[in-house]
Amino acid sequence: MSFSENIRLALQSLKANPLRSVLILIGMAVGIAAVLHVVVLGELTQKRINERLQKMGSDVLRIRPGFSRMHGVRTGEKKVNLKWDEANELVAQSQVITEAVPVYSGGGDVAFRDKNWSTQITGTTPAYQHVNNDHPAEGRFFSAQELTERARVAILGTTVYEKLFDNVSPLGKTIFIKSQPFLVIGLLEAKGESWSNPDDQVFVPITTAQERLFGVDHLSTILAQMRSAADYDEALFDIESILRRSHRLSRDAENDFQVRRQDFFLATIQETNEELARFIIVIALVSLVVGGIGIANVMLISVAERIREIGIRRAIGARKFHILFQFLTESMMLGFFGGILGVGGGMLFNHFYIDAGLLLPWPWIAYSFGICAGIGILAGIYPAFRAANMNVIDALRHE
Amino acid sequence: MDALIQMQALTKIYQTGTVSVRALAGIDLEIQKNEYVAIMGPSGSGKSTLMNIIGCLDMPSAGRYFLGQDDIRDLSDNRLSEIRSRKIGFVFQSFNLLPRVSALQNIALPLIYLGFPPKTRERLAAEALDRVGLGDRKQHKPNELSGGQRQRIAIARALVTQPDLILADEPTGNLDSKTGEEIMALIQVLHDQGHTVIIVTHEPYIAAHAARIIRLRDGLIESDLPAKPQNLPRAR
Repeated sequence: MSFSENIRLALQSLKANPLRSVLILIGMAVGIAAVLHVVVLGELTQKRINERLQKMGSDVLRIRPGFSRMHGVRTGEKKVNLKWDEANELVAQSQVITEAVPVYSGGGDVAFRDKNWSTQITGTTPAYQHVNNDHPAEGRFFSAQELTERARVAILGTTVYEKLFDNVSPLGKTIFIKSQPFLVIGLLEAKGESWSNPDDQVFVPITTAQERLFGVDHLSTILAQMRSAADYDEALFDIESILRRSHRLSRDAENDFQVRRQDFFLATIQETNEELARFIIVIALVSLVVGGIGIANVMLISVAERIREIGIRRAIGARKFHILFQFLTESMMLGFFGGILGVGGGMLFNHFYIDAGLLLPWPWIAYSFGICAGIGILAGIYPAFRAANMNVIDALRHE
Repeated sequence: MDALIQMQALTKIYQTGTVSVRALAGIDLEIQKNEYVAIMGPSGSGKSTLMNIIGCLDMPSAGRYFLGQDDIRDLSDNRLSEIRSRKIGFVFQSFNLLPRVSALQNIALPLIYLGFPPKTRERLAAEALDRVGLGDRKQHKPNELSGGQRQRIAIARALVTQPDLILADEPTGNLDSKTGEEIMALIQVLHDQGHTVIIVTHEPYIAAHAARIIRLRDGLIESDLPAKPQNLPRAR
């Protein structure tokens, strides 16, 4: 009796009860699908994080106002204490800060003809493009002259472009930002989603944003470019001392601003992802154990239903190990089908849910099949052993 | 004469809880090659137990049993399985075919466990099917066949390994008398072709086909006589 014949035999017997086989495998399939989902999600996120890291570099610090406090309790409101002058001070006074870009952003409606989109309007200076690695795919960024003139010019992020324009070039078109007409002069490269969507933005000169659109004179962020990522400690010290002096903070007062590395939130995403992955893998393990118990159950039923068959086979010459292997093969095939179901389901889920495309984690697919077949064999040991050691005469007489 | 079966002081005691039942109380028996023997007896006489031991499905409690050259007591479970597939062909009252499997595959089953390659198995099974007159029923499943046809399939399965011994346990018990006669005629043909046949029955007219009738009572051989010349009709 060869292995391939055993497999044919197992298929035959599983075919006799397809619904039972499939039902029992669903639990296991869910486990495998969950593992594959986590793996693909993890790889995908890591890939995106790496791409983002490369795009923006880790040598940029993001300075934001702190939250205001009421009787020592943090309120949701940001302080209004960062000024453009302070950005210039940073570059002037620190050896290690080569550039400081002022940013003011706020929410607002953008309209083109009959289309309308609520987005983030970000005012900044031309230096922003190379500090944040944001380059126009079409057209151009605004110039220093347009900055001083408070020109009504705008550069669109791809999401905004898609919401307002139907596949036509936006260059030279007039859009309305907070009901004021702006000339579109550029379209940025897509950056891809991460924490928030950086493509859902419109860029305008900061002078225009502060004076024409929002009527403010403070900043929401200063992007400070360091000489290199290694200068972090010195840069942090400089920023703190310059801003504390400028904000006239007493010696024992806390900072009323925050300094974050640009890549900080990516690390947070990474950590969250890993935590989630561990959690889902625990769930997957549980469902694999449950799946194994299910297979053992089905195999016990299958053995009980086929006592007579076992008797016949033994009477006409099957040895104990023939019977043992017959049922072990059957339970292994059950596990294997659970694997197919799980891998198939996982891939479909990934395809539609996270748009993983062609990202197939081959080693994991192989492990999945191996684990499933292994669980099948493990779960089949006891039932198969029982089948093989049945008393032949009793089995033959079994009704 | 070559003795195919030799039994000396063979006993079998079943232990169920504290009660022990003596199914065979000391059997001395010799059956030669090419004999046609019927084993008779009322229920409880031990004939099924004797049958099981002859067929190597069960082990005696004491005494000796030689099948050909082999002392059954010395053999491992694996060896016993091999003897069952190589030397013995079973025909059961309830046919004992695998329900989901075609006639041809049922017949080929013993060959699988003897390690024949698929092509050979198919050829031998087809030949055996021809011998029982069902050459045109290869792909039929047991439930698509009549009782008589099923028993023919079972006989073909018993034949396919060219066993020394065909062991039939009430082979006509589940058949009407006409079909039963056809089956007995087929068994007669097999005997005529040189097979040793042992048939267990409690029907005198079935036993009458045999050349030798052994009667059991209370686990002992009551009589062991040549069958009377009989004039029951035969199919051939």
